[in-house]
Amino acid sequence: MKSRVIVITSGKGGVGKTTTTANLGTALAMMDKKVVMIDTDIGLRNLDVVMGLENRIVFDIVDVVNGNCKLKQALIKDKRFDGLYLLPAAQTKDKTAVSPHQMKNLTNELRKDFDYILVDCPAGIEQGFKNAVAGADNAIVVATPEISSVRDADRIIGMLEASGLNNARLIINRLRSKMVKRGDMMDINDILDILSIELLGVVPEDESIVVSTNRGEPAVMETASRAGGAYRRIARRITGEKVPMLSVDEENVNFVDRFRRILKLAR
Amino acid sequence: MSAALRSVNGEIQVDMRSFNTFSEIKNQLEGKLQRIDNYALGTLVTLDLGDKHLSSKQVREIEDILLDHGMHLRELRSNTPPGEEEGDDYPFGDMPGYSDTTLICRHLRSGQKVFCEGNLVILGDINPGAEVVAGGNIVVMGSLRGLAHAGAFGDETAIISAYRLSPTQLRIANHITRPPDGEVIVVSTPELARIRAGKVVIEKLKI
Repeated sequence: MKSRVIVITSGKGGVGKTTTTANLGTALAMMDKKVVMIDTDIGLRNLDVVMGLENRIVFDIVDVVNGNCKLKQALIKDKRFDGLYLLPAAQTKDKTAVSPHQMKNLTNELRKDFDYILVDCPAGIEQGFKNAVAGADNAIVVATPEISSVRDADRIIGMLEASGLNNARLIINRLRSKMVKRGDMMDINDILDILSIELLGVVPEDESIVVSTNRGEPAVMETASRAGGAYRRIARRITGEKVPMLSVDEENVNFVDRFRRILKLAR
Repeated sequence: MSAALRSVNGEIQVDMRSFNTFSEIKNQLEGKLQRIDNYALGTLVTLDLGDKHLSSKQVREIEDILLDHGMHLRELRSNTPPGEEEGDDYPFGDMPGYSDTTLICRHLRSGQKVFCEGNLVILGDINPGAEVVAGGNIVVMGSLRGLAHAGAFGDETAIISAYRLSPTQLRIANHITRPPDGEVIVVSTPELARIRAGKVVIEKLKI
């Protein structure tokens, strides 16, 4: 199978790029794909922490592009899944330590060994963004249902188009169905109306994400996690499988069902 | 015989009552301006035409001459009431004719800006944060949610029309408007913005 380089970006910070990268990477690895996640947020690395791999870092992406080590030496193998690797960012340098050209060579090198190369893009539209998109075939834009996030996503989609990535797909993160029903939050159609790109999936707001992030264990590994379930479905869509979108209501029913099940177990 | 030229409060008034044809008026004006070329930029000019009436195309020619000398047309004085413009109920009837029109076949997203000297037609949306500026008219075959500036060189007859008109700001010539605060007006028909009686008004687009 032809390998794919997918950049995960958003423009705005704090909308869940890193969480999305970690969860999609893990979910794809759970489907027996060979996956590498690249953290391009040089100077503010997080992906290693979310994956619980921080203490294994010896070399990083800057070492690789500068030739201080071999690519294989810098790749960190995940502790849970065989086909999952992480290429961490450097914490002591800044975004200018890597050039878009070097990034392109790096992703091309990784194509030989992996099915999916997920690039975790830093917030902003400067050099870090340009590096992250340099070698990408596809883009996933993460947005939360807030005006500011949607505005930045719109800007980013424009910039992706300018760099030749016309097939960006959207993940709406942290949707609160109750607030949408009350009319207090933008609903999915409002967002799609403005951004007019293909919807890849909707991830509901879920407290378990905070817990799993702190523990360094992606939420997709927990079968009960609602957000984890959403990420698993998104991962299946990335592989080309047709997975129907659940409406906001259905997500709710699932939640109620699970609540009932838990009650039954308690009895 | 030549046109009388007066300076009043830093503005220029030109008496053109003794001239009959448009080409005479044009020649006189150009000749006069040549001599006062070092006059301050941005000076406003009033033309007194007596009992002649100029078509909107001729008015624009006058405006262009003035702009070449860094001046703006303030007013055209005329004794005769302006005749009804032809086809006034057809929205594009009195649309000034710009020779060049730019066609954009994509969505304009936040941070993107398009400028053209003539008319601008966009087959797509203009999202919040995007800007379109045109010397002539702007027609959006989609949702206009960002900023649009028509008649950017001072043409007050320029129009902005959109399939869905819900801009962050509209500008026509040197008039700037924005939607009222706190009011959410949902209109599900195409609309058109133009200047009427010195104000930007939005009306239903009827064709």
